[in-house]
Parts: sequence; C-alpha cells; structure tokens
Amino acid sequence: MATLSINSLGKVYPGGVTAVSDVNVDIADGEFIVLVGPSGCGKSTILRMIAGLEGITSGDLQIDDRRVNDLEPGERDIAMVFQNYALYPHMSVRGNMEYGLKNEGLPKAQIAERIAEAARTLRLEEFLDRKPANLSGGQRQRVAMGRAIVRDPKVFLFDEPLSNLDAKLRTQLRAELKALHKRLGATFVYVTHDQVEAMSLADRIIIMSNGKVEQIGTPMDLYLRPASRFVADFIGSPSMNVLDGTVSSDRRSLQLNGSHQIDFGAELPAAAGNQIAIGIRPEHLHQNTAGETRIELSVGFIEQLGADTVVHGTLAGSQSPLAVRLNGVQARDSGDSIALSCGRDQIHLFDGTTGQRLNWDNQ
Amino acid sequence: MQKRVVFRSRLLPYLLVLPQIAITLIFFFWPAYQALESSFFIEDAFGFSRQWVAMQNYVELFEDPSYLRSFKTTLIFGVSVAVMAMSISLGLAVAANRVVKAATGYRTMLIWPYAVAPALAGVIWYFLMNPSLGIVAYWLKNVGVDWNHYLNGDQALLLVIVAAAWKQVSYNFLFFLAGLQSIPKSLIEAAAIDRAGPVRRFWTIVFPLLTPTTFFLLVVNLVYAFFDTFALVHATTEGGPVDATSILVFRVYNTGFIGQDYGSSAAQSVILMGLVIMMTFVQFRFVERKVQY
Ligand SMILES: Nc1ncnc2c1ncn2[C@@H]1O[C@H](COP(=O)(O)OP(=O)(O)OP(=O)(O)O)[C@@H](O)[C@H]1O
Ligand SMILES: [Mg+2]
Repeated sequence: MATLSINSLGKVYPGGVTAVSDVNVDIADGEFIVLVGPSGCGKSTILRMIAGLEGITSGDLQIDDRRVNDLEPGERDIAMVFQNYALYPHMSVRGNMEYGLKNEGLPKAQIAERIAEAARTLRLEEFLDRKPANLSGGQRQRVAMGRAIVRDPKVFLFDEPLSNLDAKLRTQLRAELKALHKRLGATFVYVTHDQVEAMSLADRIIIMSNGKVEQIGTPMDLYLRPASRFVADFIGSPSMNVLDGTVSSDRRSLQLNGSHQIDFGAELPAAAGNQIAIGIRPEHLHQNTAGETRIELSVGFIEQLGADTVVHGTLAGSQSPLAVRLNGVQARDSGDSIALSCGRDQIHLFDGTTGQRLNWDNQ
Repeated sequence: MQKRVVFRSRLLPYLLVLPQIAITLIFFFWPAYQALESSFFIEDAFGFSRQWVAMQNYVELFEDPSYLRSFKTTLIFGVSVAVMAMSISLGLAVAANRVVKAATGYRTMLIWPYAVAPALAGVIWYFLMNPSLGIVAYWLKNVGVDWNHYLNGDQALLLVIVAAAWKQVSYNFLFFLAGLQSIPKSLIEAAAIDRAGPVRRFWTIVFPLLTPTTFFLLVVNLVYAFFDTFALVHATTEGGPVDATSILVFRVYNTGFIGQDYGSSAAQSVILMGLVIMMTFVQFRFVERKVQY
C-alpha cells in the first residue's frame, strides 16, 4: 500500500532519443492508474523508470514520500508483470512464485502459506508443479500475476499484461484484474495501448503522446471533456468526429467545409476568421432534426455490429470524414445522405493550431 | 505445403548423396577398419610379415602400467582443459555481454586464438614458459616459482593444459556469448525486481539457462582434449618428461611411429575410437534431448 509521486520525470536514452519529458502525477494509495497512448509514446519507459529498470534522466520519483531514484529495482518494493510474462522457464510454477520470497529470506512456512493463498485466488493449485512451457497463455499470465501478488509489494506495475491473449480471455481477465485490485486494495500502475482496457480498468487514466502527458483524469473526464484533439481522437470507438472550420465575423457561428454553418447561439472563444475545430462523438449524433446543430452525412460504408450500426462517410459536400452510431440494425447505401443533429452541449471545441480544448459558455 | 522434395528419378537422390558416402567410406571407415584389423596382428617393423595374435595386443596394453598411467594423465588433462577453457570463456562471455560500446571489436579479438594452429599454440606457450628465455618463466622466478617443465612432470602437464585450454577459449566464448544473448533480458529484469543481486541472478537464472550450451561444450571440449591435442603435445613436451604428458593420442603416435609397434598402436586407436563413439552417444542422448528454453 503506497502513494507514488512523480515530479517532472524525464528520460533521454543514450543516443539522444527523448522518450519521456516532464511527467507530473501524484498517485494515491490504492489507486488504479492506467497509462495509455499509441505505440512508442513512452509508456513502458515510465513504467520501467518506476521499476528501476531504466535510469531516470531528470526529475524525482517518490514511493511513500521516499525518493527512490537511485534505489535498485529490488529495493523499491514493487512487483512487475511483463508483457511476455518473463517466467523463469527452468522453474516450476511454485518455483517462480517462491523465487522473490526466498531472496527476501522469508521463513519456509510463511512462503508456503503465501503461495497457497495466491494459488487459490488465481486458481493455479493444480499447476503448481508444472513448468511454464506446459501452460496455456492465460495460465502463464496468471502465474506472472501470482509471482507479483505473493511478494505483497507496495506498488504493482503491469506492462500490457493482456496483449498476448485472445479477445475473449482478455475481457475475462480484465474483470478478474479489476476484482483483484479491489481485493488487494494496492496501488496499480498499468500500461496499455488499448483505450477500452484503459476505460474499463482505470480509476484515473494518464494519456500520453510523444513522451508528453496529454491529460490525466478519470475515464469519464477524458470522455466528456477531452483536453485536446489528440485525447478526443484516442478515447472512444469509433473516434470522435473532428471537423475544421472558420470562425464567422460575428464570432457566433462556424463555417465548415461543404457549406455547413454551425450556429452556437453564443460567442465563440476565438477571434473572427480563426481556424478552430468542432468535435462530436458518433454516438451523440441522432437521426432527426431535434438538436440545435444540424449536419448532413454522405454515406460511404457501414459497419453492422448487431446492437448498433456505425455509418462511415463524409460531411456532405466535403472530404471531411464523419461517422455516426445509430441504434439497431440499419441499412444504408453508399452515396445516401442522412440528416443528423445533436445538442450544443455535445459539441467540443479545439484550437485549430495547438489542438487544445477551448471552453465555451454553453457547457 | 509439402516440405519434402520429391525426386522424379529414383537414381538422382542416391547420386546426390554418393560423394558424401564415398568420402565417409574412404577416409573414415576404411582407415578405421584397417586399424581394427591391424590391432589383431603383430607386424614386423617393415611390414613384410604379420602374425595373427587375437587379443594379445589389448591384453598387453591393459597389463602395461605406463599405459594405464596414460589413461589417468589423459583424464586429468581432459577434465582440466575443459574446466579451465570453459570457466575462462564463460567469464569473458559474461563480460563481453555487458559491453555496449565497441562490442564487435572485443568479440573479434577474442575469436582470434581459434585461428591459431594447435602446433603453433603449443610453440607460443613453449616460448613463453621456456625456463631459460620465456618471459612467463622469468616472472614466475621473480615470484619464487622455479619453473622448469623439462624436469618437472607436473609443470609439464600444467603447460600443455594451459596451452590446450587457451586455444579452446575462443570457441567456447562464441557459444557462451550466443547462449547469453538468447536469454531474454526481461528474465534478468524480473529477477532483479525479485530482489536477486547480480551474483545470485547469475547462478539461479543465467547459469541454469545455459545448461544446454554448457553440456554441449563440455562434450566438445573433452573430445578436443582427448583426441585433438596431439600436435600441441608433440610441439611442446613430446610426451615427457618421463611420460608425464603422454596422453592417449600422443601414445598412439609414439608407439606406432617411434616404437614401430603397429599392432599395439592400432589397438590403442581402436580403444580411442571406442571412447569417441561413447562420448558422441552421450552427447546425442542427452544434449539433443535436453529441453531448449
Ligand atoms: N533502450 C532504448 N534505447 C533507445 N531508445 C529507446 C529505448 N527503449 C525505447 N526507446 C524509444 O523510446 C520511445 C518510447 O518507447 P517505449 O518503449 O516507452 O514506448 P511504449 O509507449 O511502451 O510503446 P509500445 O506501446 O509500442 O510498447 C520510443 O521512441 C522508443 O523507440
Ligand atoms: Mg511498451
């Protein structure tokens, strides 16, 4: 059980690659933090710096108010689950789980007790004497988890632990992981590039791009108030529609491509003639004209998902991509046009050049 | 997909393996058969006449205390060479595996000794250790060791062991380095997180994972020391002083070409052949089946 405090953390790899710069976050005791972002954005680097596997170039790392920058991985009281599990292939499942405890010099009886308990929790009892090579992917994953649990560490670190599993198992283990977190009440730092995993697991998400933090917040914060165009695009599936436009001279409406004019009924937080972008989630667009904001979609192709239908296409009369999620099974032909609308409070605004969120009166 | 090649002609496959079979027959089986045959005869020194004596050559060998001593010498020699060559090369491989800068440079340098011919390796050490002009012998004298492998049998044995081991280090190094590099880095990292220090990590994770390599090299090194070191011994100690470095292979030569006792020499090579077959069997039996991680 521990707090984790990260202050202006930075990493430059030998060779000059800046993998991470200026990360600040305070992680509370027992919090489930998920680091998410596209490949190469520096998630693993941050996790490995917390673990002590990678040197810290700049900034401070504290576990329970103790600066740990210069401690060896073994002295930090953390446990880590690797993407490839990193099970010791020459040891049995029991041997794998015992290893860390033996190194700590724990009495034999206590080791046996902890392993029995972890094996029960993770349903590994019947596999204790098997070698990792003779286990399925899901079982190996649980052994890796078990090896972390028995250590009873202050912080658990996970680097994409579910990414080598098939979709169904992934969903199942996601639920188990969440339950485990609840039961242990420990601090979890979890890396993934899958936004669904991030949304479903996290108490708070740290979303990154190019080594920088884009936003830190609860899943709903990120969904409802994305701090930038990048976050808006990354969180949610299908992604948020983002349409570029020009602020009108009275600053109360936006001229989009394809002769669409969006009225805001309030002053926009940008100067006349400026480029800004609006964002509307596909699930917030409806097939009626009840909302204040109306646009027309020219159908390209449709995805039938059963419970709902995602229609992809373009904003009528332009090349800007646009998608909408409609309820139930819907048939549309390519080239059809659909009139859509949404409430003003569902519209997000982003600066045209920086991509940062612009807040405006109606929200 | 069909992986096996199917030949249209029945003859072609046999034609293709013919050279290989011919070489094996002419250069391996034929001499082996000759040795086996000669070992049952006593031949005069000029090869004019020979006489069937059945197992007499073998019986005499095993009744000869100096031959039995050679067995012991060979065993000490072989095990020492293997242990010395392997531990030094493992140490070097572990060090080279940590080096990040100029790694290929180090590796190339460490591989060079392998290109030195065995006789030459012997001569190099012979000069280094020569009691009157060798630099190492001079250093040893300075620290109070009176080095003279012409007179001292133990020192002579040590000399050939060191020379033979030195030559084999490069080969072992390559295999150990490859073995080390095939161990996933995340295993070492997991062990570091599991509170194992560098030494403990080595003995509990790295070394066990190298077992297949180590076992393979053990057999290769023993085979090398037993059968491939003739030139080295010949160029340095010539088996002496008083048989102290007269290992089995050297004895085969000595009995045959110096002593001109072809029958006994042949019997000795048959015994050596038996040893090789045994070791090859052990290697196939255990190394091949050993779990590859
Ligand atoms: N050892 C290293 N030396 C140099 N550069 C590195 C090293 N490890 C990672 N990098 C670089 O640092 C950046 C961040 O890498 P990192 O592994 O943290 O990404 P990631 O977010 O975990 O990506 P992924 O989702 O693909 O695992 C990348 O540009 C990568 O090329
Ligand atoms: Mg990664």
